[in-house]
Amino acid sequence: MDKNIRLALGIGFAAVALSLGVSAHAKDAKDISVAVIPKVAVPFFDDCNKGAQTSADKLGVKYQWVVPQNTQGSTQVQIIEDLISKHVDGIAISVNEPKSVESVMKRAAQSGIKVLTYDSDSPKSGRSMYIGTNNEAAGVTMAETMGKALDGTGEVAIVTGQLGAVNLNERIAGIKKGLAKYPGIKIVETQGTDDDLAKGVSVVETTLRAHPQLKGIFGVSQVGGPAVSKVLNTKEFGAMKGKLEVLAFDDLPDTLKALRDGSIQGIMVQRPVTMGSLAVDHLVAQIQGTDTSPPKDIDTGVTVVTKDNVGTYTK
Amino acid sequence: MTAISSKEDPQPHSVRLADMLRSWLKIRELNVLSVLLLVGILISIFSPYFLTTNNLMGVFRSFSLIAIMSIGMMLVIITGGIDLSVGSVMGLSSLVTALAFQHGAGPILAVIAGLSIGLAVGCFNGFLITWIQLPPFIATLGTLSIGRGLMYMITKGVPVTPDVPDSFTFLGQGYIGFVPFPVVIMIFMTICFSVLMRQTRFGRHVYATGGNELAARLSGVRTSRVKFIVYALSGLIASIAGIVSFSRFVSAEPASGFGAELDVIAAAAIGGASLSGGAGSVEGAIIGAALAGIITNGVVLLNIDTYAQQAITGCVILIAVSIDIWRVRRKGR
Repeated sequence: MDKNIRLALGIGFAAVALSLGVSAHAKDAKDISVAVIPKVAVPFFDDCNKGAQTSADKLGVKYQWVVPQNTQGSTQVQIIEDLISKHVDGIAISVNEPKSVESVMKRAAQSGIKVLTYDSDSPKSGRSMYIGTNNEAAGVTMAETMGKALDGTGEVAIVTGQLGAVNLNERIAGIKKGLAKYPGIKIVETQGTDDDLAKGVSVVETTLRAHPQLKGIFGVSQVGGPAVSKVLNTKEFGAMKGKLEVLAFDDLPDTLKALRDGSIQGIMVQRPVTMGSLAVDHLVAQIQGTDTSPPKDIDTGVTVVTKDNVGTYTK
Repeated sequence: MTAISSKEDPQPHSVRLADMLRSWLKIRELNVLSVLLLVGILISIFSPYFLTTNNLMGVFRSFSLIAIMSIGMMLVIITGGIDLSVGSVMGLSSLVTALAFQHGAGPILAVIAGLSIGLAVGCFNGFLITWIQLPPFIATLGTLSIGRGLMYMITKGVPVTPDVPDSFTFLGQGYIGFVPFPVVIMIFMTICFSVLMRQTRFGRHVYATGGNELAARLSGVRTSRVKFIVYALSGLIASIAGIVSFSRFVSAEPASGFGAELDVIAAAAIGGASLSGGAGSVEGAIIGAALAGIITNGVVLLNIDTYAQQAITGCVILIAVSIDIWRVRRKGR
C-alpha cells in the first residue's frame, strides 16, 4: 500500500480509537441502554417492569424488558449472551436458577457491562448488588403474624411454588425460624406447586382433606392466595372460610379479592415497583460512574396488608 | 434401418455447466437455506450486532443442541416414526451425569453414565416399537412421561449442581479457535451422519424402510433392525445433547429439556422431513434448527416484544415449509 495512504489510515485509526476512549468515560444518558430480565411472565414482574420503565424514562436511557419463555436456567443464559452481543450497558436480572447463570454473568461483567440482581439472587455470579426482599426476614414476619393470630397453638401447612426456588426456600427458612418462638405450632405439610394454579388448588384441597384440624396456611409464593381462595369458595370447603388463618404472598387481584371476602387474612406484599426502579437507578449510576459508595445489597422489605390497610398501601 | 447409436454425442461444455448449475439449484435443502439466509439478512439490516463473530458463534452454540438432537429425530422420522422422548432423555442424561459427579465420579465415567442412559432409553423405545409393535407415538410418549417422572422423583424438584472439573466444562463452554465446542460437535456429527445417510447401505435402508416398509422388507431390508437402530441412535444422540447442556450450565434442573422435543420436531419438519416417512435430510434438519435459533436471537437484538417470539417462530416455520412444499410440487419431484 502507498506509504501516504498507510499514514493517513494510521492517523484515522488513532483518532477513532482516541475518541472512543474518551467517550467511554462519560456516557450521555440517551446513549445508555439497560436491559431488565424477569424470571418469567407472571403479574409480579409486570410491576417490576412498571417501576423500571418509569425510572428509565425519568433518566432518559434506552430500556429493554426481555421475558424468558420458561423458568429454565438455560433460557436466561441465552438471553444474557444475546444482550452481551448487543453491547448493552447494564443488565438487571431476577434469576431462575442461580448456578447456571454464574459464568455468563461473570463474562458480562468482564466485558464492561454493569450487572445486578433483583428479586431473586445468584450470589456467586459477580453481580454488583442484590435489590430485593430479604426473604428470610419476610418469613419471620409471616411466622410472627401467624403465631399471634393462632395464639401460639395449632397445625399449619406451607404451600410453596417451585421447590428449588432459592427465594421461596429462604422464606420457608424464615418461617421456621420465626415459629421457634411458638412451640405449640406444628408444620404438618410443605407442598410445592410450580406456581401453577391448577396444581395449587389440588394441593390445597388434598392438604385440607388430610388435615381437618388445620388452623393455618402459609402461602409462600404468589400462587398460594388464588389457590386457597378458589378452594375456600367451593361447597366442600366453604365452611372453613374465616376459620383458617391464611397468609399469602404478593397482591395478585385474586388474592386481594380473597382478602376482602375473608378467605385470606393477610398478604405479604413485596415492593416490585420499587425493586424495578431502584434496579434501573443503580445500573445507570454505576454506568455513569456516579455511584461513589461501594454497592451494597438493598432490602426492599414487605408490607403486611390486612383488611385495614388494603386500600392505602404502596409498593 | 440405421442402428440407434448406443453412445451419446459429447455435449458442449456450456450445456454441461448449465446442467450442473440446474442440478445444484434443484437441491431440496436450498429452499429452506434461502429462507434462512433471508431472515438472517433481514435481522442484520436492522441490527449491526447480528453479523459479529461473537454473536453468530453464540447463536450457533445456542441452537447446536437442538440441531444435534434433530439429526437423530430426522433418522427416526425418515423411517416413518417419531420420537417424543428426546427432551426427556436429554434431561435425564443431564441428571445422571450430574449425579455421577456428585458421587465422586471422574469426567469420563460421568460421560459414560450419561451416554448409557440415553442408549438404554433409545433401545427401550426400539424394543417397544419393533417387538411389542407399539405405534412410535404412543411408545415414545410413554417413555417421555416415565423420564419426566423419574427426573422429578430423583431431584425432588431441586436442581443438582455438583462441582465439575474444567476438563468437563470444556465440552459445553470451551472453544476451538473462535468456534464454540458444541458447534464443533454439531458440525462433526452432521458430516458423519450425512455421509452415513447418503453413502452407506444403512442410510439407503433407512430411506427404504420409511418410503415403503413392506416393499423394503420384501426386498430383503431388515426393517425391524433398522428401526431399532434408529431409535437407539436417537436416544444416544439426545444424551450427547444432555451431557453438553449440563457441561454448559453446570446445573441439572428438574424441568431440563422440557418441551425440547417440539423444537426438535419443528427443526426436522423444516428440514424437509415428511411425517409419513421416506423424505428429509440431515443437512435440512440443521438448517431448520438454525432458523428457529436465529429468530430467538433476532428478537432480543431487535428489541422485539419477547411475547411475540413464539408467534413469529411459528409463522416463519409455516412460511418456510410452505415454500418447500410448493417448490417440491412444482418440480414434480
